[in-house]
Amino acid sequence: MEIELEINDVEQTVDASKSDSLLDVLRRNGYTGAKRGCDTGACGFCTVHVDGEPVKSCVEPVTKDQDTSIETIEGLGTQSDLHPVQQAFVDNTALQCGFCIPGMIMRSTALLETNPNPTEQEVREALSDNLCRCTGYKKIVEAVLDAAERMDSDTAVAADGGTAVDNDGGAAAVTECSRTDCGCMEGDQ
Amino acid sequence: MSDSDRVRETSKQPEGTERKESDPAEANRESETGAAREPDRKPESERDAITVDEEKDDARKIVTGEARYTADYRDRFPDLAHGRVVRSNIAHGYVESVDTSAAEAMDGVDAVITPFDDVVPDKLYSSSGQSYPEPSPWDLTVLREHVRFVGDPVAAVAADDAETADRAARKIEIEYRELDAVFDPEEALDEDAPQLFEADDVENKQSGADYSRNLESHFEGELGDVAGAFEQASDDERRHVIQTEWETPYQSHCVPEPHTTIAYTDEDDRHTFITATQVPFHTRRQIAHLFDVPIRDVRVKKPRIGAGFGSKQEMAIEPITFALHLAADRPVKLEMSRQEEFTALRFRHPMQMQMRTAVTDDGDIEAMDLYTLSNSGAYGTHGMTVANNVGTKPLPLYPRVPNVRFSGDVVHTNLPMGAAMRGYGAPQGHFAVESHMDEVARRLGLDPIEFRLQNAVREGDLDRSVAILKDGDRFTRTIRSCGIRECVERGKEAIDYDGIEQPDEDHHKRGVGMALIAQGSGVAGKELGAAQVQMNEDGSFHLQVGGVDTGTGADTMFSQIAAEVLGCTPEDVVVIAADTDLTPFDYGAYASSTTYISGRAVKNAAEDAKERLLEWGSRLLDEPPKALDTGDGCVYSEQTGNSVSLEEIGYEATYGDDEREHILGDGNHSTDESPPPYGAQFVDVTVDTETGEYELNKLVFAADCGVAINPALVEGQIEGGEHMSLEYATSGDLTFDEEGNPEVLGFRQYGMPRTTDHPEMETVLVETHEPTGPFGAKSIAELPTNGVPPALSNAIRDAVGVRLTELPFTAEDVKTALDEQSADD
Repeated sequence: MEIELEINDVEQTVDASKSDSLLDVLRRNGYTGAKRGCDTGACGFCTVHVDGEPVKSCVEPVTKDQDTSIETIEGLGTQSDLHPVQQAFVDNTALQCGFCIPGMIMRSTALLETNPNPTEQEVREALSDNLCRCTGYKKIVEAVLDAAERMDSDTAVAADGGTAVDNDGGAAAVTECSRTDCGCMEGDQ
Repeated sequence: MSDSDRVRETSKQPEGTERKESDPAEANRESETGAAREPDRKPESERDAITVDEEKDDARKIVTGEARYTADYRDRFPDLAHGRVVRSNIAHGYVESVDTSAAEAMDGVDAVITPFDDVVPDKLYSSSGQSYPEPSPWDLTVLREHVRFVGDPVAAVAADDAETADRAARKIEIEYRELDAVFDPEEALDEDAPQLFEADDVENKQSGADYSRNLESHFEGELGDVAGAFEQASDDERRHVIQTEWETPYQSHCVPEPHTTIAYTDEDDRHTFITATQVPFHTRRQIAHLFDVPIRDVRVKKPRIGAGFGSKQEMAIEPITFALHLAADRPVKLEMSRQEEFTALRFRHPMQMQMRTAVTDDGDIEAMDLYTLSNSGAYGTHGMTVANNVGTKPLPLYPRVPNVRFSGDVVHTNLPMGAAMRGYGAPQGHFAVESHMDEVARRLGLDPIEFRLQNAVREGDLDRSVAILKDGDRFTRTIRSCGIRECVERGKEAIDYDGIEQPDEDHHKRGVGMALIAQGSGVAGKELGAAQVQMNEDGSFHLQVGGVDTGTGADTMFSQIAAEVLGCTPEDVVVIAADTDLTPFDYGAYASSTTYISGRAVKNAAEDAKERLLEWGSRLLDEPPKALDTGDGCVYSEQTGNSVSLEEIGYEATYGDDEREHILGDGNHSTDESPPPYGAQFVDVTVDTETGEYELNKLVFAADCGVAINPALVEGQIEGGEHMSLEYATSGDLTFDEEGNPEVLGFRQYGMPRTTDHPEMETVLVETHEPTGPFGAKSIAELPTNGVPPALSNAIRDAVGVRLTELPFTAEDVKTALDEQSADD
């Protein structure tokens, strides 16, 4: 069967079998940033966004995703122009083997889109479905809090630049800001 | 290069730091390094590339999802077949027949293999990636006719896609002749117990083996006169004999990336493996021997790997992948499922330990006696060597104790096999030794920390206990760096040891516990690291090194060490690592060997290249090499202030008119040394005496790993090690039903701590200088996996007076102990 969906702002038609998960289809089509860690939705390594919501793609039947918009780690920043969350993970050494990191970052960007100024406890709760075996989570939590601060100041810069920003957060406002001023989000290909 | 040519920087060594060269074995060890030690203690002001939080060299590709792990190479192989393993569903028996006809008849099935196929070798081997011959029994076959646990591989299929492989695997029918099974290690030692191996089922047997009693190995060693010391203590009221017992469970590595291998044969007929391994060179040798092909025709490439923690110090799935590849005649990828990781791969050995000490009223330890019974599971990979480390890692915390005995039995049961896991016996041993020491102090009315420090290791101590199981004194070691006292001091401050306040509620009690920790830096006398530095004409370098970065940041650390010698930046060093065709040899990433062994090989290679840089600098500056040094991307003369850039040297050496030379440097490192890094783990806990529930308020780990080459990466090692140690203490366990079927099949049933399960963590780095390590470094990776179980047991004892002795500690355990305590009152 064929599924039509948008991956990182590019409309695509992909071949799939009924039993395929979204993760199967993504990886088969070259989006290998999402990792297969358990195939049961228990580790979070495969987390991507479906219509803006964080989803464990290994337990998401791809048949559900007709006409949806998928965002994967490949849709965030590039190595020379990292998204602030990616940059914060690099700067805080919040990674070791890296296998959980794409999922962890997608979960974190989803958090910061709905809650731009989370407390440490809120970060811990938001990431509690995403396992990491290497770091003890300390530097990861620090990275997400650091990213929130960076994005907050980016937002402030954007506001100074004249873009309308709703400081109470709405995901749309933050996303729009990022696309137009920060050069950091999914608008960057 | 000759030693006399080496540029020495003796002026940089601070006064009073001359090494003690009294050890007669020293001269030999020195010569084994291939170069005499140079004084490389650098004050902070003179360090450029080391003790710097250099960005991890793969960080950017990791956060963009571009880092490639084995399974991500699928797009390079248009005709890739997908493998699936069929595993035993009984705990013990013989395969009578395998019916593969239905599977073979399916469209898209490329190969089906069983133990009866010619392509599957019937040789015995060990999957342990250790030195050669492996200090583990050869008791495995690739596919197994005699199955010994639920999960043993019996057959495998390769198909055009994973779904077809799954369906085909389910159509394979296996008939078994079942045998009685045994699951308890003490019962397994009974002469009437079901026997897992006949004597000729095993080659390369280990010391003390008696397979008629399922005994894979028995070992013992003694220093002084232990029986005499205990006898003396029992007759003297100013002396005390205290005995305790401890028990630890299975623990899963929970490797993020499941074991994955792609095997193919290239256009030159060379068998190539892209594989998630900690030991590429051991795997190359083991594959060559097992399949009877020349070593030169095997290539093992390590891509990024999703961590190993010891589970990938195993050739666990490469042989099945290769047999499938040979049968299917196309590239095959085999990727383990999480359920296979939790049921069929590798684990930390469960153990039962007894510890006995003779102590004076004043707290002097006169004798220690430690015994361990290790459940090896169905096969013996790393069985004896892990059990050896139960004693040889923690007992050296107290090297001045005159009478020491350590013994153990390693026993087979029909359960999954134990193997190498981060810490390698030391987590079990530290739980026994460091909980015991705390109990001794409390029973004697001594301060638990002061009691330990009174007996604990000091710089200059001669440590014989590390070699207690060895003949002779070749591996007896002198402790040249030891920051354990500063670890305790600074750890106490960080946990606010003296300022702990009790909660307001009467049924909440707060306590603090501490454990001293030691590990090693590589396997003494059983390591080899090698590296080569090649200069590019623009003044940058390629560093080829056998050392294996399993995600720790080792490649970054290598680039920092090389840069510090060569006088360039770490970014100027391109690291090419762990490919058996491209890089020099290395034993692999295990036993905390990478910084100390492979890092030292890198340093030696860089120093070799530096000598050539100075020679070329000398020609261009017209000053003698001895007057020159490297730094800031140049060769410079401190005396005259003249300098020439590495780029100028690179172009001149490559394209010059008179003479030309590719500037290269080679380095090896092998040694009998394995200096211990030290640590102190602190746990602050609050116990609810009504329910037995407890909450960890804070973890502090203070570590002495010598000079931390990259402090941020060192902290990462410590925080991640504590995570595993926290799990071991509080939540990790595997259980089995009465027929040996695993009950933990995935993360949902296993207690791996999540973000919300972690207490506040504080890490303290205590710098010492280890004169045998690269720039004073010791290793760090395993040290922090040892501390939380004893420190938590000690903290609960401190809070509510009960002693927990079996991991993991549940609220029910605490409540039961509290109820027993009040019944005794």
